[in-house]
Amino acid sequence: MLFHTWPFVLFFLIVYLIYLVLKDTRFRLFWLLAVSYFFYACFHPLYPILIAYASLVDYTVVVRMAKSSRRKAWLFVSIFNNLALLGFFKYSGFVTDNLNVLLSSLGIPYAVAAPGIILPVGLSFYTFQSMSYAIDFYRGNIEREKSFIAYASFVSLFPRLVAGPIERAKNLLPQLHKASKISTQDVTDGLSLFIVGLFKKVALADYMALYVGKVYAAPEQFKSPALLLATFLFSWQIYFDFSGYTDMARGLARMMGIRLMLNFNNPYLATGLGDFWRRWHISLSSWFKDYVYIPLGGNRYGKFKTYRNIFLTMVISGLWHGAAWTFVIWGAVHALGRFLTRELEGTSFYKEKVPRLVKQLFVFAFVTFAWIFFRAENISDAWLIIARIFDSGLANPYCPLLALTLILTVWLYQFIYESTIRWVLETRAVRIGVVVAMIMYLAVFAKSSEMPFIYLQF
Amino acid sequence: MNRSDRRETMEVEIPFGSNCVRLSGYEWFIVAVVVSALFYFVPKLWKQVEKFSPVSDYRLSYKLSDDYWLFSRYCRWACSRLGEAPSRSRTDEKTLFIGDSVIWGHYVSQDNTLSYYLNEVAGRDKFVNMGVDGIHPVALAGLLRYYCRDISGRDIILHFNPLWMSSKKHDLQIEKEFNFNHPNLVPQFIPNIPCYKVSYSKRISAVMQRYMSFFSWVSHLRISFFENMDLPTWTLEHPYENPLKSIMLALPASDGYNLSENVSWHEKVIGKQDLQWVKLESSLQWRFFQHSVELLRKRGNKVFVLVGPFNEHILQGKNIDTYRQMKRQIETWLQQNNVPYYMPVALPSRMYRDASHPLSEGYAELARQLFKSAYGGSN
Repeated sequence: MLFHTWPFVLFFLIVYLIYLVLKDTRFRLFWLLAVSYFFYACFHPLYPILIAYASLVDYTVVVRMAKSSRRKAWLFVSIFNNLALLGFFKYSGFVTDNLNVLLSSLGIPYAVAAPGIILPVGLSFYTFQSMSYAIDFYRGNIEREKSFIAYASFVSLFPRLVAGPIERAKNLLPQLHKASKISTQDVTDGLSLFIVGLFKKVALADYMALYVGKVYAAPEQFKSPALLLATFLFSWQIYFDFSGYTDMARGLARMMGIRLMLNFNNPYLATGLGDFWRRWHISLSSWFKDYVYIPLGGNRYGKFKTYRNIFLTMVISGLWHGAAWTFVIWGAVHALGRFLTRELEGTSFYKEKVPRLVKQLFVFAFVTFAWIFFRAENISDAWLIIARIFDSGLANPYCPLLALTLILTVWLYQFIYESTIRWVLETRAVRIGVVVAMIMYLAVFAKSSEMPFIYLQF
Repeated sequence: MNRSDRRETMEVEIPFGSNCVRLSGYEWFIVAVVVSALFYFVPKLWKQVEKFSPVSDYRLSYKLSDDYWLFSRYCRWACSRLGEAPSRSRTDEKTLFIGDSVIWGHYVSQDNTLSYYLNEVAGRDKFVNMGVDGIHPVALAGLLRYYCRDISGRDIILHFNPLWMSSKKHDLQIEKEFNFNHPNLVPQFIPNIPCYKVSYSKRISAVMQRYMSFFSWVSHLRISFFENMDLPTWTLEHPYENPLKSIMLALPASDGYNLSENVSWHEKVIGKQDLQWVKLESSLQWRFFQHSVELLRKRGNKVFVLVGPFNEHILQGKNIDTYRQMKRQIETWLQQNNVPYYMPVALPSRMYRDASHPLSEGYAELARQLFKSAYGGSN
């Protein structure tokens, strides 16, 4: 059940109306939990068992941690359990594949059977969220959650269940506890967020996907211009897809009086790779910063260790996205980019002489290049695409001008949003005009698709 | 970052978003009014600017078979023509001829269809070809219910093509999913059609098209001007074209007739067939045909039913017996329900293109028979 489909709209209307009735009663959390589990069960009837297990373990771990002097051991149990879940469901295939390659290359005539396990939707998101609760409690950043229902609702809250944002207990749990005060502004804000997200997903991301999918499915059949354009379009496809999902998730939660964190902040206006990661998938970036980068030492032990920590964090982040070497390389490429822009940002020439627009375009170009590894089916495809971009010659790319026009319009909007003439976008006429235009475009021109969100696979 | 820094970071106010699209309740109200007005008025205005002027013996273009918004417009046009001269007697009124490709005239030109020959026999422009290519009775019931609300108090000849009961697949009774014609017109939820397995989202979209003419108008745009594709897919095929320029405000001229197909089934070397007829009492198609008759009569129409003529020459051995048994059952139902009908015997073999479509000569012959049966030879 995807946000941009009619069944979800019906589901939400029913859920929301009952939620409004129950919001001041003690049944509110029960209702939230029940509908969140139902929502998850729509993907697979057994998934709720998995999330209930993950929630129960972390809840119990923290209960034990609160009463025990062996806090570290209990923290280890939580981390081990969450990583084991991820390892089993997400990485077992990857491990056996690589093991078999290794055995084969060593000439050992034995192959480990592929486990053939399907990755449960959203597992990477809720295990990280649940794990952060245990770590935060261990660090003394939060109080123990006394109600299991509240905790299970925190882990499974349906708007953010399958693709984040990865919320922190400190932000979300208190909101779940207090009786929701839903103002008119919450409802209208929620609608505003939802319509923007819907437009990003249905009108833009799914449109870009048509061209990208065609080119990336058979890169050997396309020449440099088509491959370049497909990569450019994929940059926007993934942004529109994921930020569209997040906008819708935040909008739905907002309508229920719950404020989820901002997850995307115009990332293609970033002036450096560090800036990019403060704008892209913010909830994951900050998670890795707080629970991986800083524990590794952060930037406290000299340049070499700083770069080592950045590298490790980015590679692990890459692996989080998918169990394939393409994601590992994608993470490593970003780490290298981070080194580069960090060094450049240290020079007065780059800081003072290079125009902001040039920095933005440079970062965009770099991020777009890295997306090749993210999108390619495998490493050899990625290398093939890079090679063909440079030496396959020219040919008409047959790229729809409408798609490029839409992208440039959005990009221009974002530039204006972060400029001194932002007031133009804030005028009532423009805001209303933009919403009417989005709704009419969706109604008349958008592709009637049920394409899943890209990040559901992670 | 130390612990207090982290706490500080977490406690900052959560920003709304990264754009200015944030409307108040009043502004959403304005949006609702503007969008509702556009939804309501755009299709109506469209009718004023898009030229649609059917002439005698007109039939909807083959390419527009799925364009129910246009069909609805066609119905309104046909019914308004009927109402042009209220002083005329009932016999002066036009008769709407509704059915599938047999009525539309799949293998013949516009001036060789059944309605054309009926007009010729009648000596005046009396019969309107409202055939829709590929429309089976289940879909036809949907078409009549949702897109032909203007048809009331009219004379109607409703065609029933037994071909739709010639197998469980034709009767939509198999479990395996397959692409059948006009899926948006069949019941989306109840009764369940076993071979119709599209997502709930698509089903809800189909239902919305029925009740909100704006969405069927959108479908009209896609079918008429974007080769039955949505805009994104169309732009992939025509990357450098301006989509707005494709909207010509005039409907496709060709009616989709292919002269080379106008040859008999013998020449096409179609062999005899062993059809697995479904039983009338369990047939979905027949049940929905009955619904159509009831619906049209409920709306005050005079309904005359034409059954077949099926190409019995194509049937093998016992198949003919089963078919004739079924025909008798159909006849009984029509008699019991006082529905006037004509059930012709099969036309000569050479007059058929396949199992159910007559060729020009066949249509001419059928027109003579039908006119005689329905009007006693008098016009």
